[in-house]
Amino acid sequence: MPEYILRRTFVLMPVFFVVSLVIFLITHLVPGDPIDNLLQVGSSPEMKAKLIAEYGLDRPLHEQYLLWLGRLLTGDLGEAIILKRPVFDLILQNLPYSLTLGAAALAFSTAFGIIVGALAATFPGTKVDEGAMGFILLGSTVPSFWLGLLLILFFAVMLGWFPVSGARGWSSLVLPVLTVGLGGIALTARVTRVAMLETAQKDFVFLLHAKGVPHRSIQVRHILRHAMIPVITIVGLRIGWIIGGSVTVEYVFARPGLGTLLIRSLNQRDYPVVQGSLLMLAMAVMLGTLLADILHAAIDPRVRERAR
Amino acid sequence: MLKRLQGLTLAASILVFGSAGAQEVTLVVNPNVIGAPTFNPLKATVINTQSTLIFDTLVQRDRNFSYHPALALSWESSGDGLTWTFKLKEGVKFHDGEPFNGEAVKWWLEAYRGSQVDNLVDAIATIDVPDPYTVKLNMKRPDPNLLFNLSSSWMGFPSPKAVKEMGEDYGVKGAVGTGPFILEEHVVGQYTVLRRNPDYTWGGLSQNKGPARIARITMREIAEQSTAFLELKTGGVDALLYVPTDFVPQVKAEANLAMVELMGSDVMYMPINVTSGPFADIRIREAVALAIDQKEILQGIFKGVGMEAHNFLISALSESKVDPKYNIGYNPERAKKLLDEAGWPVGSDGTREKDGKPFTVKLWAQSESEFKRVAEAVQAQLAAVGIKAEVTTFDSSTIREQYKANNHQLAIRSYSWPNADILNWFFGGARLGYPNVSMWNDAKAEELGATAQTGSRTPEERLINYTKYHEYVLSQFVFAPIYQPVQFMAYNKARIRFPDKIMTPEFDSVMALDMEIVE
Repeated sequence: MPEYILRRTFVLMPVFFVVSLVIFLITHLVPGDPIDNLLQVGSSPEMKAKLIAEYGLDRPLHEQYLLWLGRLLTGDLGEAIILKRPVFDLILQNLPYSLTLGAAALAFSTAFGIIVGALAATFPGTKVDEGAMGFILLGSTVPSFWLGLLLILFFAVMLGWFPVSGARGWSSLVLPVLTVGLGGIALTARVTRVAMLETAQKDFVFLLHAKGVPHRSIQVRHILRHAMIPVITIVGLRIGWIIGGSVTVEYVFARPGLGTLLIRSLNQRDYPVVQGSLLMLAMAVMLGTLLADILHAAIDPRVRERAR
Repeated sequence: MLKRLQGLTLAASILVFGSAGAQEVTLVVNPNVIGAPTFNPLKATVINTQSTLIFDTLVQRDRNFSYHPALALSWESSGDGLTWTFKLKEGVKFHDGEPFNGEAVKWWLEAYRGSQVDNLVDAIATIDVPDPYTVKLNMKRPDPNLLFNLSSSWMGFPSPKAVKEMGEDYGVKGAVGTGPFILEEHVVGQYTVLRRNPDYTWGGLSQNKGPARIARITMREIAEQSTAFLELKTGGVDALLYVPTDFVPQVKAEANLAMVELMGSDVMYMPINVTSGPFADIRIREAVALAIDQKEILQGIFKGVGMEAHNFLISALSESKVDPKYNIGYNPERAKKLLDEAGWPVGSDGTREKDGKPFTVKLWAQSESEFKRVAEAVQAQLAAVGIKAEVTTFDSSTIREQYKANNHQLAIRSYSWPNADILNWFFGGARLGYPNVSMWNDAKAEELGATAQTGSRTPEERLINYTKYHEYVLSQFVFAPIYQPVQFMAYNKARIRFPDKIMTPEFDSVMALDMEIVE
């Protein structure tokens, strides 16, 4: 088991370098530069040249990349051009909000997804199955932006149960979590349902039925456990995605977070912030998949054996 | 159980932003100042509304562009404009207890040199402080625009002690001014909490000359307009400092909301690239400019809210009162005649053509929805005179790169600036591409522009010179004017009250001092 973990972690390093290169190229090759966003009405043309030289933006691309990478490996994410503060501080300020929203939404969508999928698999082909599957499909096809506004209109304006926006207090977390989480239920539910239905065809289930174990007990204690394997993989993949994918929700609910930081900096082409944020998100995805793989290996001895 | 939960969450949500608390007010700022990274004008990219409550300027500008005392009691300039003497108010203190005096003024003005905004003090050569409450500015050249700069929110005065002590962190971890409100807490892009300065007795234009009537103001930064409106509607906030035109009817429909019209300082226009294809011919430029129907756009897209634009400057500026023959308005008949004269007859399908090639133009717009809608209307108006326009949209940073690469022909854009020197910014030959989207480099324009900006000795001369420069720009048809938005503020009249007469262009310390809570 420890060798498995070590080997998987090792593979992450070349992935990290490739990701950093791609992130750097994307941000620098997109047209637009941060200096135009810095200049004010009335500033002289010489000021522009001075600022470009000050931030090293006139150096060749590969030189700028190696400089950034070098500082990165010592833990220095650089300083934001427009926000004029260390990128690390900016990310640290916004990360807790994104993590809270992301973790809560992930927990919500995983828990509900498993429950709905298990229910649908326990009563396959019935109204319960079709109704549940149809409902969650609705949740995943409605755009999160619109869903957020709808929830605000209904729960915050008409019913007055929750605040419209902001990030102070736990009550302001409910509607954003619902908005982000509802979209994620569908995938988890469907995967759970399919996995459980497949597992139900296996021989050992037949034996359990023959032994006289009650139907519900089989579903929950035996089949569900086996069905968790693909679900864990999905959840692991979604960790990084949920942190970055909450951008529109953060915008609608006026919450701070990595997504808002990223979008604003992207609009202004604040290279160090964009690079730093994208790197954080990429690392979240990488670590998420690593965690999922490790959990997978912990649960399923076949994976550990195969890897030996 | 549900009722108790409902009650608990309602209580929690009231506590969240405290707008039900006595003596506390929550406002939502204009989206265009969201995300201000610092309160230090030497390093900032935008100065937000909060800054105008924390810092005072030497003079205040009112809606009619007259200047009034603020931190400066009085001022006079010598006949040749080369010396300005300011008498400062006495007894003014910074929030950290340090005195405001001539030394503080001199120190701060000199700090601008070499910064990103050094153009604000560019005309000043040296500064003398003959006594603690007198400042003498010795100018390199006469600068009739000095008062405008000194009234700008970019020139509020901070405590020199605080700036020196906080160093790099000044403006980020704290901001110390002389204003009616003290900075308590600030989260970038989210909210700012300000508390009343109890020692404030040096109000300028406000009716209330003493400390503010409100103990604490929270200013929230909400980017999504629907969310901001819903917050106002549910009482989560007490006022919106900016109401988008689309929401004006909704605000009017709510019984507890009132609206205030502020001075508009934006102009929406269409620059014409004079180096691209047929637009080198002034007749074609004039034709395109005359094809724009400002009234149709005002009524159809903006529902009559705002004003038509017929030249480059906002109507509040005296320099916009050019000789009426220079104003650009809708004249499709003359446009068609000019196009015929220029050798572009109408083809069989309604589009003009020359040598078998149809008259197609590229019409660009930024991706915000109002620009797209106007671009579509302009496309239809150009088609009516036989020009086929293809609309492409870009985000604001990309479009600037594209302008610099000179790939454009026509574009829909807008600016926000209440001073005639915006003409130099957008039409000066030294900044082709962006901001000079018209790519116009004309010797006579350069001369007129330089005379207006740095060669005028008195405000009267500046007005005449800028009007001349403005008229020349108009005569060359390097752009087409479209629309002047007005700005609205909405507030909950069951909670707060503003004076009937608004003296200043927008919400600032004057309005904050006169704002009252309805008991």
